[in-house]
Amino acid sequence: MGKSKILSLILRNLIRKPATIQYPREKPWVESDFRGRQYSDLQKCIGCGLCRIECPADAIVMKKIPDEYEVPKKNARRLFPVIDYMKCVYCYRCVTVCPVRAFITTNYFELADPQHITSEELSLSTLRKKAGGEASK
Amino acid sequence: MIEKIDELVNEGLLKEAGIIKPNRKLYEFNHERIREIFKQLLERLGEKGFYLATIVGTDMLKDKKIRLDYYVVVLPEEITIVLRTYVDRDNPEINSILDLIPAALAPECEIYDLLGVVFKGNPALRRPFFVPEELVEKGIYPLRKDARV
Amino acid sequence: MQGCRAVAIDKVIEVPYALEIPVGPQHPALHEPLLLKAYADGEEVIKVEVHTGYNHRGIEKLAEKNSFYRDIFIVSRVCGICNGVHANCYVRAVEQILGIEPSPRAKYLRVLAMELERIHSHMLINAVMAEIIGFDSLFMNIMRDREYIMKSKEIVTGNRVSADYMIFGGVRRDLNSEKVDKLKKLLDRVIPRIKYYKKLFMEDETILKRLVDVGVVKPSEATLYGLLGPAARASGIKIDVRASDKYDAYGEIPFNVIVRNECDAWARMMVRWDEALESAEMVKYILDHLPQDEKAVPDERRLPRRFPPGEAYARVEAPRGELIYYVMSDGKPMPYRVKIRTPSVHNILNTAKFYIGYSIADLPVILTSWDPCISCMERLTIIDLKTGERRKVPMKELAGGGKKWVNPRYSL
Ligand code: SF4
Ligand code: SF4
Repeated sequence: MGKSKILSLILRNLIRKPATIQYPREKPWVESDFRGRQYSDLQKCIGCGLCRIECPADAIVMKKIPDEYEVPKKNARRLFPVIDYMKCVYCYRCVTVCPVRAFITTNYFELADPQHITSEELSLSTLRKKAGGEASK
Repeated sequence: MIEKIDELVNEGLLKEAGIIKPNRKLYEFNHERIREIFKQLLERLGEKGFYLATIVGTDMLKDKKIRLDYYVVVLPEEITIVLRTYVDRDNPEINSILDLIPAALAPECEIYDLLGVVFKGNPALRRPFFVPEELVEKGIYPLRKDARV
Repeated sequence: MQGCRAVAIDKVIEVPYALEIPVGPQHPALHEPLLLKAYADGEEVIKVEVHTGYNHRGIEKLAEKNSFYRDIFIVSRVCGICNGVHANCYVRAVEQILGIEPSPRAKYLRVLAMELERIHSHMLINAVMAEIIGFDSLFMNIMRDREYIMKSKEIVTGNRVSADYMIFGGVRRDLNSEKVDKLKKLLDRVIPRIKYYKKLFMEDETILKRLVDVGVVKPSEATLYGLLGPAARASGIKIDVRASDKYDAYGEIPFNVIVRNECDAWARMMVRWDEALESAEMVKYILDHLPQDEKAVPDERRLPRRFPPGEAYARVEAPRGELIYYVMSDGKPMPYRVKIRTPSVHNILNTAKFYIGYSIADLPVILTSWDPCISCMERLTIIDLKTGERRKVPMKELAGGGKKWVNPRYSL
């Protein structure tokens, strides 16, 4: 009968270790190509704004790159996309639609992070500061 | 069973009007004869011979019409056909088929709520059904093209 | 008291006493907002009204205001569980308008993603059913094994839940042989579990006592009320869009359409277990027979930007039944009309009649046996798009306090 079978399953589960992952003590294992936090590599980005137009969640705004950074010539308007990670739905449309494939993708999923509410800092870290200042990381 | 539809065409109840991609035959009819058509369908195909998949209402602002497409799936082959009709945009009224086909409940209520087509004889029509009360009070039918929401 | 005697009682007027019981809107059966207003005479349900409108989102209007491309991702957020089929249906409708077709490999991959979705959806609703009838340990176990499928989905699509896997002309990422091996291993672990649960549902007394002969739907009622998917197939109506429309690769992959004739809640759950097994076999077949071509993933930068006028009506067999997208284009970058008809609309709204005559305790069981998906049903409604505000109606008002709400509303 089914009854005794499920009983033995339940008893076995009693002595097994929990099936749930004890986050945050234990990290879940995600695939290397999981769609996680992404940001634009400003060495490649040309500031065209296509990602902003295509983003279904309106999570991207185009911002001016601050003056102290050296910007590649192809980005004449000195614009770069800033992703609001709280709005982003991680569809990666921005990644696939970018004409120069500028986005750096990661499988980082722990997004409750007061440091990186937007991609501004991460993106800017791909640029060098102008001569005089040291290279920023 | 699909031949039965051709019979209706021959009798002048339906008029062939091309196809909707992919391969869904489109028939047009006069909106006053809707009950007649569905009675015939019930009679000829039987209760188990078809089901009403949905009704799609579209606001054709340019033509001053509201278009209603009745999607019917003919069993057992599961062939979808489209019965299309137009009602006046300023006075959108059509007879309800709820008592013939209970499956019309959800789409009729929805279209009444979102487009304002009155299905005469459907006791269940009410607002707000889906639409929030604020819009109902203002008399807005959100899916109309000139509605601002 | 004594004085009362003077009035001789010669008549007793029986007042039919019906108890009004709101089931929901918080957590009626699934963890989703829907109110079933049940009227009970003693233990017996005599009337049920379905109340909707707790989760307005206005997706159809939203879709008219966004470009064709952005809509792919918007429609896949209609429903969390079956987001893949939603996107697939929309994408295929637009492909019809555009006149493009994906490569054979892309078609197989689409089916793969959709079948994985079907398995986990069916496991979920069976787990919820176990929970509803008070069998929580079974619920936990099914949910644990469902994780294997979620992992498979992550491997295939890049995320556990929101797949975002479909694009015009193909899919958005490909499989390599390493991933195929991983998937096969996961599948080999899941299939015996599903078989075990199916057996449990067939044999366990608790389950049988709660489900058998509850919520009977006659075959002719199933078509008249427009029931779809497992709910119709459990009443002996053989409808399956996969078999009739043969979209994507379904024409090439062998599978059986599961039909049962018991017509009750139990049959509906069994159809789901059998379908889950069938889907698992299909996934296996796909992994073994994946066509080798390089064009599965189109370059999204080169996809067409102009959309010719036209209309298309796509159907897809979602886990809950036939899902419909009607897309009309008038040549602009945004669709003129997008109509979404999800199976839950029919399966929830049209079924108020089928609760009558059963006891109150059966109510959640019957509701769960439709596999209701509230987000699917209510996507067509409007909220304030600017603030994204969700509307809630106080319970008091619904129970008859608010004047607007006491007005006639439908009940069958
Ligand atoms: S992943 Fe999607 S939602 Fe997020 S920024 Fe890119 S396009 Fe927008
Ligand atoms: S689409 Fe690419 S190049 Fe254009 S702004 Fe976005 S990241 Fe930069």
